[in-house]
Amino acid sequence: MITAPALARRAAAFVAFVVLATACGDDNGNGDAESPEQDTTADVVRLVTYDSFALSDDAAAEFEARTGATIEVIASGDAGTTLTRALLAAGAPEGDVIFGIDDTLAGRALAEDLLEPVSPAGLDRVPADLRIEGEGADLLVPIDTGDVCMNVDAEWFADSGLEVPVTLDDLTEPDYRDLTVVQSPVTSSPGLAFLIGTIDRYGDDGWQDYWSSLDDNGVLVRPSWDDAYYGDYTVSGGDRPIVLSYASSPPAEVVFSEGTRTEPASVVMTDSCTRQIEYAGVLRGTDRPELAAELVEFMLDDAWQSELPLTNFVFPVVDVPLPEEFELWAERPDSPMGLDSELVDERRDDWVESWRELME
Amino acid sequence: MTTGPLARRSLIGTLAVTLVFLAVAVPVAALLWRTVAPGGTPEGDAFARMLGSARTWRLIGVTVAQAAASCVVTVAVGTPLAWFLARRTFPGAGLLRTVVIVPFVLPTVVVGAAFASLLGAQGVIDLRGTWWPILAAHLCFNLAVVMRTVGARVAVLDAHLEGAARTLGAGPVGYLRRVALPLITPAVLAAGVIVFLFCLTSFGVIVLLGGGSVSTVEVEIWIRATRQFDLPGAGVLALVQVGAVIATLTVHARLTRHAARDGGASRRAAPRRLRGVGDRAAAFAVVATVGLVTLAPLAALVVQSLRVGDGLGLAHWRNLGTVTAGTSLAVAPLDALFVSLVNAAVAMAVAVGLGLPAAVLAARRPGGLADRALLLPLGVSATTIGLGLLLAVGRPPVDLRRAWWLVPAAQALVALPLVVRVLVPAIRSAPLRLEESAALLGAGPVARWWRIGLPVHRRAIVAGSGLAFVACLGEFGATVFLARSNRPTAPVAIEQLLSRPGAAGYGQAMAMACLLALLCAAVIVVVDRAAGAEGAAPGF
Repeated sequence: MITAPALARRAAAFVAFVVLATACGDDNGNGDAESPEQDTTADVVRLVTYDSFALSDDAAAEFEARTGATIEVIASGDAGTTLTRALLAAGAPEGDVIFGIDDTLAGRALAEDLLEPVSPAGLDRVPADLRIEGEGADLLVPIDTGDVCMNVDAEWFADSGLEVPVTLDDLTEPDYRDLTVVQSPVTSSPGLAFLIGTIDRYGDDGWQDYWSSLDDNGVLVRPSWDDAYYGDYTVSGGDRPIVLSYASSPPAEVVFSEGTRTEPASVVMTDSCTRQIEYAGVLRGTDRPELAAELVEFMLDDAWQSELPLTNFVFPVVDVPLPEEFELWAERPDSPMGLDSELVDERRDDWVESWRELME
Repeated sequence: MTTGPLARRSLIGTLAVTLVFLAVAVPVAALLWRTVAPGGTPEGDAFARMLGSARTWRLIGVTVAQAAASCVVTVAVGTPLAWFLARRTFPGAGLLRTVVIVPFVLPTVVVGAAFASLLGAQGVIDLRGTWWPILAAHLCFNLAVVMRTVGARVAVLDAHLEGAARTLGAGPVGYLRRVALPLITPAVLAAGVIVFLFCLTSFGVIVLLGGGSVSTVEVEIWIRATRQFDLPGAGVLALVQVGAVIATLTVHARLTRHAARDGGASRRAAPRRLRGVGDRAAAFAVVATVGLVTLAPLAALVVQSLRVGDGLGLAHWRNLGTVTAGTSLAVAPLDALFVSLVNAAVAMAVAVGLGLPAAVLAARRPGGLADRALLLPLGVSATTIGLGLLLAVGRPPVDLRRAWWLVPAAQALVALPLVVRVLVPAIRSAPLRLEESAALLGAGPVARWWRIGLPVHRRAIVAGSGLAFVACLGEFGATVFLARSNRPTAPVAIEQLLSRPGAAGYGQAMAMACLLALLCAAVIVVVDRAAGAEGAAPGF
């Protein structure tokens, strides 16, 4: 049996060993004593993004062929969470490039000195209405666009004998009670886009009534898109046949079904769509700014852009051919909802606060 | 007493206490500054906005209500349990006592994960989004506090009292009501207030079990800071929390001052064996309660970690060494565990290294400045420390946010009050004369401490170290702000694995929680052996 003093000695030796080991490991790893995480080997570039981002293997291989660097994805929650995490680390970033800041949150990123200027070749191929104008134009680069829309499980509705809902107002009808799941605008970027869409639709003094009716009709609010889509949507095995997702989600059902599905179960409720633009930028404080800028530039390259539809189910911002699944099943609503980005920037925090007051 | 040879140690103690004070004051000041001057110039907007919002007050109300409810439930279940286990003995009673204590040393995320597996989507009943799983987890977690505090009081009740009461004509009920209850009431109240305090600042349990739909002030600080990026709003709530905690601690100090006046027993009543049907029924009820409150969730945790598809298997355990796609965790769970072990070892060394000289100083004058300064970290919740520290170090001239030791430093701060609570009573009860004699005989301060101080306080030091190690291993509230995504700790990894739907992450989280629970239990068993049963939990 180990006696107590012997145990204490062993514990002390262990502690001393661990302290030494970590101290030494620190020195060996790199010269900068306070940042063992800063892997200064130049062949990795770290991309900070949200959980549901999918890196295309082909695009990553092409980037490695061109620059010799591999892409490491650092995912930390939904888009809103990712941005906040980056803001709390601003100046001492956890990666080199951030992707997934959308137009509703862009102002927050620009106000906090989060990014380095970057001027990628190919930006002129992006339509002017997707680019940021004036302040911040050299900080955030538009990479993709999509429409946040309600997806409706048409098969579920066919089975239940209910009509498929087609307008936002339908969602407040008693027939559709307890059938809808959305994301919280506090944490989720589609959630915030949808909130802003409803403010556009129902006006500054009408949106609260709309949300109250949704609430009365049993709407379920989840913190993230993953939670809602994979956890609650009937197509993924949940019990809610109406989910806030993207206009390009139906093709994803077919692509991910690995042959078991020849066409999607869902249809897009085009009345419920809000346009969203996603940006990338170089994080201030990165120790490899050149490589980071190269990655941002590469994100506008055809090699990256043409992969976007079938990996992340969003639309490219440059003119590349769309895959067949997209042509067939992805909706591109003509007149999506949305508000001017300056107005959003000014009022966003108040709206989110009022929404929480109302819904939580 | 402080003159002469002991003066130098007093200097070290003063330094340690000052360091502890600064380590708490600086983060709080940083958070306060960010609250009153979000743009660099002071303004009071955040206070008006937060304190003027009905939602804030509702949140404060809910927080206090859930803490009060948890406290009432824990005391109601724990007091009879403590009474019975202190007065009766039966085969397995010792084991039962240990089982009740175990959850207290488990990481909050482990207890949270255990109840998530019992009362979650795949559990026995799905109670997600309600307060019930949280109340149950609080009961499980805090039963040890009531058991220890009340049990210790019941054990020293004078055996003559019962005989005297009987002689004077009181029945068993009369004795309980008129004699025993009034005597143990101060201990019950003190335990209740501590449980209230723990539930007031409860974080890991609510993050894991709240599912985003139930929240408290502590969780809201985290949501505002890390989700909404509303640092001033988080700061206001942190200050509200500091106020609430200090008020609770004040109440506790008053209660225990009264409790301390009650003298010990002249003859302790030894626990007796079970006699009769009533005793047996009560024993059965006690075993069933402990089984339901403590063992069932831990068993559910194990079962869920072994559930692979429709059958059982070790796949989740085997996969702990690999990064799993489709989860938010960027490293393998075992790597996170290794980070946790290193952090906890460093943090323990810091907490004991600071806590020991500080406790020596504090023990000299109970209620003195040092004694009170060491209570400071208790008054500031873990999320406040984490967020405050992040803001304090993330500014020029030195940006320390990348420093690996930031996490163990915060953990040491959170563990420090535990270390001090264990050490101070031990040091107070040890005779000072031995050391003074040694000093008179010419022993230097180092020799004195090495030859006398350490051996005399060995048990308390081992107990304090073990407790600090376990607390740091499971620390979540401060760590979650400070851990970088490439160096998550084990509790952060569990939260990240559970934060996304999907079977892969869920099974791994459960396996990881089991592993962490086993580790903590092992540490406590070793400490128990080395320090004796009295040392394993802090006295409140």
